[in-house]
Amino acid sequence: MTRALIAEDEPILAAILARTLQGLWPELDIVGTAPNGLAAVEQALALRPDVLFLDIRMPGQTGLEAAEELAERWEGPQAFPHLVFVTAFDDYAVQAFERAAVDYVLKPVSAGRLGKTVERLRALVEAPRAPAAGVTDADSLGQLLSQLQALLPAAAATERLTTVRAAVGNLVRMIPVADVVFFQAVDKYVNVVTTDGEALIRVPLKDLLPQLDPVQFRQVSRSMVVNMACVLSAGRDDMGKVTLTLRGRSDRPRVSPVYAHLFRQM
Amino acid sequence: MPSPIQSLFSRPRSRLRRLLADLPLSIAVSAVLAIFIGLVSGHFLENLLVSILIGLIAFTIVNGGRLLWWDRQSWGLREWAPFLALAIATAPVAHFTGLRIGGRLLGIPTPTLAEYPTPARMSMVLFTMLGTMMMIVLVKYRERVRRIEEEHAAARLRAEIIERQALQAQLRLLQAQIEPHMLFNTLANLQGLIAIAPDRASEMLDQLIQYLRATLSVSRAETTTLEQEFAAMQAYLGLMGVRMGERLAYRVELPLELSTARLPTMLLQPLVENAIVHGLEPKVDGGEVAVTAVAAGDNLVIEVRDTGLGLGQVHGRRGGGVGVSTTRERLEALYGERATITLAPAPPQGTLARLTLPLETTA
Repeated sequence: MTRALIAEDEPILAAILARTLQGLWPELDIVGTAPNGLAAVEQALALRPDVLFLDIRMPGQTGLEAAEELAERWEGPQAFPHLVFVTAFDDYAVQAFERAAVDYVLKPVSAGRLGKTVERLRALVEAPRAPAAGVTDADSLGQLLSQLQALLPAAAATERLTTVRAAVGNLVRMIPVADVVFFQAVDKYVNVVTTDGEALIRVPLKDLLPQLDPVQFRQVSRSMVVNMACVLSAGRDDMGKVTLTLRGRSDRPRVSPVYAHLFRQM
Repeated sequence: MPSPIQSLFSRPRSRLRRLLADLPLSIAVSAVLAIFIGLVSGHFLENLLVSILIGLIAFTIVNGGRLLWWDRQSWGLREWAPFLALAIATAPVAHFTGLRIGGRLLGIPTPTLAEYPTPARMSMVLFTMLGTMMMIVLVKYRERVRRIEEEHAAARLRAEIIERQALQAQLRLLQAQIEPHMLFNTLANLQGLIAIAPDRASEMLDQLIQYLRATLSVSRAETTTLEQEFAAMQAYLGLMGVRMGERLAYRVELPLELSTARLPTMLLQPLVENAIVHGLEPKVDGGEVAVTAVAAGDNLVIEVRDTGLGLGQVHGRRGGGVGVSTTRERLEALYGERATITLAPAPPQGTLARLTLPLETTA
């Protein structure tokens, strides 16, 4: 039986979407409704639905951000859920998704339009998926992720950062960006790690990322951006998990499956 | 005054250009004087040429001196006294030099410096002096007229700019109010309620109509009563209450004696919408918004307090957002400095928007 999760903050809209879906697709099992973007991720990880309806504007985080987080945290043999974005107004270019294994519907949702979505989903769910676990799935997730990240509103700053200014006591340390081995998100702060020390800055990783050279600095997991020039090797353990060895550091940071393709042999 | 207006008008013309621009006037005055002299003494053309020469020389010196040393708008004794002295001293010099140059050009014998002073010539010098004064008075008069015209134009431009700003604020207000997300989500809720609770749907539709009517009738000249404004706001809060369910609580307090107080339309609504859209809607647990109105002396004070995310927590909220800057511009256009709007954190969490404006009642 196909399982669906609905993430929608407005209770009446969640109820009516569930009701309309049930009418169009009686065999669909709606396993829950999440009232915000944070709960959407947790419930999806716990309930493992096949289909996920995500409202875009939600408290906590947007549906796009929730999908991004879920893609990074999704593990295991079960395939990533099919995504359907729901929005009241087409301000994100969600129609860009139409070719991917995802769909979008506009609120107020018309039964006719939702019927088409259901048809599409049924075809996808019933068709045998490519090998569910392992490399291929992580690859398609990586693709989905980059699609999502393209949709997320980019931070305005496009100027390249050359020096990180980090307060250490009464001093402001000037750290050349090239000397940074990795940036790690810690709550609202970012830990700037070099071969000879660490410093905290009060800039969210999301805001820092667009200011870095996208070739030299790559995101390897939700909370970590690594200087590729400092990566000595990548190791894969029995579970298929990838860890990095870095120049001048003893840390062995883990690579999220969706970014594992960055460290595969040529 | 705003700088764009200043820069439009006080672009100063150089002194040389002003001097040159005034020269035709000196020629005209000299010509008129020459006609008088010609009528008395004959030799019309010779007198005209010499008179214009004298006029040009005298005017260049005196007007040049004026532009160099006393170039200011209002003249007192400190300006007039040295200026008159210069004009008096210039007259004989200009007359003598003009006479000599004119004589050279026309091939007529002219007096040397030693032969120059005679009673008849002294009266011509006096005449030159009068002519010079006339020119200066004319020039000063012309400058004053021009200055007044410029001030008028600046005032007109200023009025236009303020008008345009008010209009833009108006347009932004309209655009900001009927936000597509708000409208479509409300319609989606209505659609849902029609299926599951038709009575509540009809109630919500009433609120939507009231909200749209208040929002779309916004007009700069129009004022409304606090009672009406609070009713429109309650319609909005009712809509949001249906949409957000348990996440939204609201409290509205309007003292009876203030219900007839007048205020511009749609002044309050953007503040309440800000509290919801930026404060409570994006907050996972939601919260409460409280709207109160009180009279403080001659002023009406309206407060919108929310327990939402607070200032600076949401992108685009820094500096108060579109709603607040639009409201601020409208207040400025309508009341000048007699009205204010402030945004402050409301501990323990949330934002307090306070609107102060002159209390006007319809009695």
